[in-house]
Amino acid sequence: MPSELELQISPIVQESLVHNTRTLVNLQSLTASLFGVSAGILGLESYSGFLYYLIFSLITSALFYVVRVAPTSIASEKPPLDTSRYFRGPVEFWTGGLMNGLAGFILTWTLFYGLVSA
Amino acid sequence: MTILSKTITAFGGILLAHACYSAQEHSALHSLRVATAASLTSSSTVANSLPIDVVIETIVATFIILLGLVLGTRPLRPIQWRVWAGKIEREGEDGFKDNNGEVNKDYMGNPFNFIESRPNFVDIRKQRKEFAEWVRTGGGGQSTR
Repeated sequence: MPSELELQISPIVQESLVHNTRTLVNLQSLTASLFGVSAGILGLESYSGFLYYLIFSLITSALFYVVRVAPTSIASEKPPLDTSRYFRGPVEFWTGGLMNGLAGFILTWTLFYGLVSA
Repeated sequence: MTILSKTITAFGGILLAHACYSAQEHSALHSLRVATAASLTSSSTVANSLPIDVVIETIVATFIILLGLVLGTRPLRPIQWRVWAGKIEREGEDGFKDNNGEVNKDYMGNPFNFIESRPNFVDIRKQRKEFAEWVRTGGGGQSTR
């Protein structure tokens, strides 16, 4: 988290921050439902289902980094896996969507589990 | 870009639907087998595990849809003011287009426009040159008519 002095020196554009965060949250809630569908088809139960969700969410973040963040971020001489060009902190980027998508994941997980193994 | 992502997502969706149907059929067949086995011999246990091809198809379909969705996301914008304003100055509207090639609705142009449009900042020599050019081409053509 940048300090107040750093924010005074290099100010942040709120609209861009909101736009980037909304793009990421939209993607993560969409993909969480998708992971629920596939976890239900695979018939996962209890911890393995949550582990599946965790792994695939991290894969989503990594893929988003590769497709959207990396090309311009590395071109502007940032080190790899640094998202500070578009997001405020690494924690927000890598794990911010976990809680957002969890409800959708469980919804579609239970639905498809019930549909497949009825 | 958007056509590509939609095609990939649709293809993954078909694969996922097929995997779902296969899993459902396997489950139905399995419960039927268990019922018949129970009626024939009382001590018969059939393991209910999904066939490996359905598992692979599901995971591959998930990855394909994931790729399509990620490719379909909107381009990000730099959050640091100096990077963002530099991008506007360099690329103008071209840097703020979404996947369909339309300029974003909340694109508001150069944030320093109000400074650069002050009368003190008008480039009068450039305007004179442009006026002379106009007189030589368009304006001159009208006067000879």
